[in-house]
Amino acid sequence: MNRGAKGMNRRAFLSWGTAGFVALCSGVAVSFGAVVRFLVPSVFYEPPQSFKIGDPADYPFGPPTFLADEKIYVFRSREKGFAVASAVCTHLGCTVAYFPSDQKFHCPCHGSVFARDGDVLHGPAPRPLQWFEVTMARDGQLRVDKDKGVPDSYRLMV
Amino acid sequence: MGRRLPQAFFALSMLALVLLIAAVWQSSTPSWKTYQRKFFQLEAQEEPNAVTKAAVLATPPEIHQILLPGLQRVDRCTTCHLGVDDPTMKNAPEPFRYHAGLGPHIPSKFGCTICHGGQGLATDVKAAHGNVPFWQDPLLSKDYIRASCGRCHKEGDVPGVPELTEGRRLFETEGCHGCHKLNGVGGSIGPDLTEEGASHRSPEWLERHFLAPNLVSVGSAMPNFHFTREQARALTYYMLSLTNGEMGTYYSSDLLIPSPEYGRQLFVQKDCIVCHSIGGVGAKVGPDLLGVTKRHSSEWLDEQLINPQLVYPGSSMPEYDLETNARKALVAFMSTATPEDAQEILARRGNALTPEDVAIVAGKEDFARFGCAGCHGTELQGGVPNPNAQGGQVPSLLHLSDDYTKDEVIAIIRDGKVPPLDNAAGPTPPLYMPSWKHLLSDEDIHQLVDFLWSKQQKEKEGW
Amino acid sequence: MNLIREVWQSIVRRDPLSTDKGKSELVFLNVWLHIHPAKVKKENLRFRYTFYLGFITFFLFLILLTTGIALMCYYRPYPPVAYQDMKDLQFVVFMGPFLRAMHRWAAHAMVVCVFLHMCRVFYTASYKKPRQFNWVIGVLLLLLTLGLSFTGYLLPWDQLAYWAITVGTNIGGYAPIVGGQLKELLLGGHTVGEAALIRFYVLHVAVLPSLLILLTIVHFWRIRKDGGLSRPLWKLKPEKAEALVTIGAPVEVASLKTVATSKDKTYGLMEVVTGKPIFETITPEEEDDAVFSYPYAFFREAIALMVTVTGIMAMSLFFHAPLEELANPAKTPNPAKAPWYFLGLQELVSHSALLGGVVAPALMVFILLAIPYFDRNPSRRPSDRKWAIWLFTMFVVVNLVLIVIGTFFRGPGWAFVPPWVHVVARAE
Repeated sequence: MNRGAKGMNRRAFLSWGTAGFVALCSGVAVSFGAVVRFLVPSVFYEPPQSFKIGDPADYPFGPPTFLADEKIYVFRSREKGFAVASAVCTHLGCTVAYFPSDQKFHCPCHGSVFARDGDVLHGPAPRPLQWFEVTMARDGQLRVDKDKGVPDSYRLMV
Repeated sequence: MGRRLPQAFFALSMLALVLLIAAVWQSSTPSWKTYQRKFFQLEAQEEPNAVTKAAVLATPPEIHQILLPGLQRVDRCTTCHLGVDDPTMKNAPEPFRYHAGLGPHIPSKFGCTICHGGQGLATDVKAAHGNVPFWQDPLLSKDYIRASCGRCHKEGDVPGVPELTEGRRLFETEGCHGCHKLNGVGGSIGPDLTEEGASHRSPEWLERHFLAPNLVSVGSAMPNFHFTREQARALTYYMLSLTNGEMGTYYSSDLLIPSPEYGRQLFVQKDCIVCHSIGGVGAKVGPDLLGVTKRHSSEWLDEQLINPQLVYPGSSMPEYDLETNARKALVAFMSTATPEDAQEILARRGNALTPEDVAIVAGKEDFARFGCAGCHGTELQGGVPNPNAQGGQVPSLLHLSDDYTKDEVIAIIRDGKVPPLDNAAGPTPPLYMPSWKHLLSDEDIHQLVDFLWSKQQKEKEGW
Repeated sequence: MNLIREVWQSIVRRDPLSTDKGKSELVFLNVWLHIHPAKVKKENLRFRYTFYLGFITFFLFLILLTTGIALMCYYRPYPPVAYQDMKDLQFVVFMGPFLRAMHRWAAHAMVVCVFLHMCRVFYTASYKKPRQFNWVIGVLLLLLTLGLSFTGYLLPWDQLAYWAITVGTNIGGYAPIVGGQLKELLLGGHTVGEAALIRFYVLHVAVLPSLLILLTIVHFWRIRKDGGLSRPLWKLKPEKAEALVTIGAPVEVASLKTVATSKDKTYGLMEVVTGKPIFETITPEEEDDAVFSYPYAFFREAIALMVTVTGIMAMSLFFHAPLEELANPAKTPNPAKAPWYFLGLQELVSHSALLGGVVAPALMVFILLAIPYFDRNPSRRPSDRKWAIWLFTMFVVVNLVLIVIGTFFRGPGWAFVPPWVHVVARAE
């Protein structure tokens, strides 16, 4: 058997070496994972992204209801049920205003105009308004989740 | 060098790796995740089909937090108490059960700890329930939880918590102010109670203390008032509600609409009719109050109620320690008060009004407000034990005129008096007459003495 | 394949580690390692000579740096959010309790180790000429370590922190003439409050660590220039000991003697100028006493590092850092105690504010700084230094006794209460 300078044969050296290498890699991976997980916040000191907005009966049909604190528009229609759109302009973040007279959203900052379904009609906005998932919570209230974007065809039938 | 050193290094590195994994494991398996998993299993049972079941079971565990800047707290109770706002969880086992009967006090707006106590910032059971060292606001037991209503609802009757009203009433009438300061009013023989609710004394201690002060607080000068169990509990409730909570505007009095009915109750309670009239009915000492809300802004009226001397220096209107809501209620009443109301109030009162009444009523108000009854008795009978004072007790005030002139009494109230010792070698008596000149103006003291004189009994003659 | 080899060789430019040249190059071509000599004396490696305390202290500092920076992500130095952030670290942050515990136990350990290191250096007389000023730097490092521990103590903003710092700054305030000003400067006010917290924070995360690092650099550098890690020279044969030379030490005009060379050695400019190798004359016989830093020194250092790290990790897994209730200026705990390393001082102060709080510690620091210059005895042999050793031991013992008394034997009102007597606290 060929014992090298360290007094170990090649096989032993390779197996120790591999074990060491694996251990090192797993150590690095675990450490890296732990650091990343550490840096991700577990709680946010902000209003929650998912929240309840009250009873369906509180919302009228027709023009959407604007909720200022949450910056959303709540649509309700007899045929199509509930839909919730973001009131934040996709250009630079100003709050858009809905005008029942022309059934469009107008942004006061740089003049973007959005259609009732959120599509950009006019102005510097690059994307349509974001629609959020709205579901029925177990106590009968509507729940909006801003972390879950949905296509503009999404409806909640109540 | 041999193999020893590299082997030792390798072994230690393995140990470090193991310890690192142990630490990561320790942090990844907090108890709240177990609770959340159980809850999702409960929820999944109610799901109709396998797809939604799987979706519910796959919900990622996360800490739920209710941010309450207005209440200056952060509550994480809903991390485990996930069913608290879900009516379908009515019969679920704790900690998942639905919390019925909250009315407007929904968890997302109020959190949990404002009523229940406990440590909202914590995420494991023992720490969250506050039963840990260095957290002095543990969960309130069922017996005392309704006392928390008083933390916000500081005035009027709180529906469902008659103990608070009773406790407040007892405090005012039994003369607690005589030894204890509350909101700046009162004596300094006992501790200031303005923030007693935040002092972290347990409710059980407070109740035992009201029943037998000396057993609980050894060497205390507080006499035993022989309260019943119900009275002690009512007072405990009142104590627990005395926090200083600076609530954000959402929670402050602005949202609680003070009613004219409450204002009328206060009008009667404070005997305003003794100086004021409404539409000509009543006394003529102060201005007529009919339509006063049209002549002055509500801010002006509020200021007048807080500090009459500021608006009319030299006015004989006493300072009433009214809370914001009470003042608003009075103003609300004044906007609707009619001469008929005044007529009714006068009739209920019984005795006719005399000029002396003004001073006597003011003096009576001060007697109650500053807690003289605490030592001298609600009927001025005295009798509270005062060891080693001459006579062994706090003197009665019913025969003052036999021993003192009015001026002497005025001087005693102003400057205070240490009772003469029964046994000169013995200890100083625990109770003494404090000096009130810093809290009472000369006029107040005169009015007090007028009140006392109106109560004097003629000494029985002979044997 | 060739590309990989090319990339590798552009990064690692030394000869393979199997050769002597490679072993040397690993040290002096590498910026992180070149503070080491390429070869160390065998005696330098002896555990029982130094217990590697200097290294351990340094590794503890590295642990404190990394955990401290991590903790900074979740800590805001404004009362009372500071306390809330401590609770968040305890309950919400991933590995929060573990990191905080590592930071706290490493801090305590560093104070202990820096003190033990000072004792070791004294007992081996390694402060004597030409190493006197390095001792002075060491004492400054000790003071910086205490300062870092003290400033960090306030950051949790709990009752322990608030009152410990109140007591500590009040002790400092007793200094004559400057005491009051110094205390106000430190606190940014008259009492411990918002201003104090932000100042202590800035000191703790920026000012003091920078000073510590700067002085550490000088401290390590001087070790090289002073002739490497100290070793029991009295055991050398006299001729060898005489042949030692240091930079800056008075030397006769250098005669450019030729020196026996070894074909694996490179010579720097200094050596050409003095005619001798950088800090020692190495004769071929003596070469046997020296071994390559890699692997002999490095593995030992690595093991010291691992022992330190695993020790602190194990402590942190089982013992979490304490947190008392929110700081309450209106409620003084009874007794209010300074951090443990200042409890000896507090004990002295309880007897006399001026003597105990100002004179004694100032004298202690001054004497410590002056030891290398007071000590006229050129010998490093223990049997020649009995007085010095005795005095220093007394100093250590007195300090320990004072700290033990302050920790265990002082109860409410600073009354002398042995720890086996159970004091019942009042109900409120």
